[in-house]
Amino acid sequence: MTDESLMEAVKHGNLQQVSVLFERHHKAIFNFLAKMAMDRELAEDLTQNVFLRLIKYRNSYQEGKRFQSWLYQVARNVFSDHYQLNKKMYSKGMDVEKLKDTLADTNEFHDQTEREVLLHQSLALLAHEDRELLVLTRFEQMKYEDVAAVMETTVANIKVKVHRAIGRLRQHYFELEKTN
Amino acid sequence: MLSAGGGQEVRCMEKEKLESLLIDYLDNILSKEAKEKVDGMLAENEEARKLLQELNVIIGALDNSQPLQPSASMQRRFEESLANEVVLERKSKQIFRIPSMYRVAATVGLILVSVGIAYWINKHRQQADELSQMKTEMEATKKMLMAMLDNMQSASQRVQGATIAYTIGKADDEIVNALAKALNEDKNTNVRLAALEALAKFYQEENVRQLLIKSLSIQNDEVVQIALIQVLVQMKEKGIVKELEKITRDTEVLKAVKDEAFTGILKLS
Repeated sequence: MTDESLMEAVKHGNLQQVSVLFERHHKAIFNFLAKMAMDRELAEDLTQNVFLRLIKYRNSYQEGKRFQSWLYQVARNVFSDHYQLNKKMYSKGMDVEKLKDTLADTNEFHDQTEREVLLHQSLALLAHEDRELLVLTRFEQMKYEDVAAVMETTVANIKVKVHRAIGRLRQHYFELEKTN
Repeated sequence: MLSAGGGQEVRCMEKEKLESLLIDYLDNILSKEAKEKVDGMLAENEEARKLLQELNVIIGALDNSQPLQPSASMQRRFEESLANEVVLERKSKQIFRIPSMYRVAATVGLILVSVGIAYWINKHRQQADELSQMKTEMEATKKMLMAMLDNMQSASQRVQGATIAYTIGKADDEIVNALAKALNEDKNTNVRLAALEALAKFYQEENVRQLLIKSLSIQNDEVVQIALIQVLVQMKEKGIVKELEKITRDTEVLKAVKDEAFTGILKLS
């Protein structure tokens, strides 16, 4: 069954089908939220919220619309709500030194290269919008067309923004490399 | 604009545009002609080469970053939350149904008073309709619970299927066999326990009793073995004493299971 037909079944009251959608998409949504929140434990809770919200707002799913785009819209809203509630915490900026504790699991982090650690530290210094674009297009490997659908804008606009975000990431990365 | 000329042209070109062009170059989405022009510029311009090198590092790091793995408990926690949502949904539907039941009752009352004899004629027809509707609903419930018991992707859905089986008034052979299969073969202990609970409800049916007795000799999940012994003892099923004695002699059986078997023998003798 396609994601779309499963979601249509959910909309018509067959809530158990969310289980299959969770199975298919939870890792991607978890990665998106982990890299946005820079905290894997929090990302697990937020991922759960995304799929529960999918049930709560199932009537807002437009039949025929691509499920993946809608799912990411829900995920963005969940993160945005979390961000608004915890603005104080984020206004202090990400503590790049603490990323090791919050983002990485024990075994995974030992395997990370120095380059990847530097990359995550640089990502933490980016504005949310920049980070979100890079997470979606590079980590989640979504096409510009799909990201444009999620953000309800044009492909050209997304491309320009992604390129600018890469430029800013490059600056942070090499500045951090110099100071390390 | 991209051809020869070296550093001066790069300075003229906005750095942002150059950077964007080099990202497309690295992403390998430029036309052959545009790519050759960039190659030419890179050969002559050190500043552009340095920028390309930095971008290569960044894009390489982004594209080669390893995905994170969520913890194993995350899926289980979600399945639990989902099961709660399903229960809440069902309850809210029931609440909405009550007023309409009252409305139907009031309407029927009015019809009784005003229509009199005509009501009785209608009533016979209505009863037939209701019977047929109930039959359709039972068929739909059965279909749903069988599909849930068969869902190998979700343990919570299988538990839910067994729970629905528990709530139905009468189980036919198809449901009983599906529950027995879950009891003896499901990889998840909670599913087996839910299936046992549902089957135990129908213990007065001879075929269900036989299935439960048979399960005692083939059951390989210790937690379910203990629960099964308790159920059979409650049913006062004396026919299992021999099987219980066998369990007490089996050296590979867990002590807790043996203890339960001893207790069972005592209670049944």
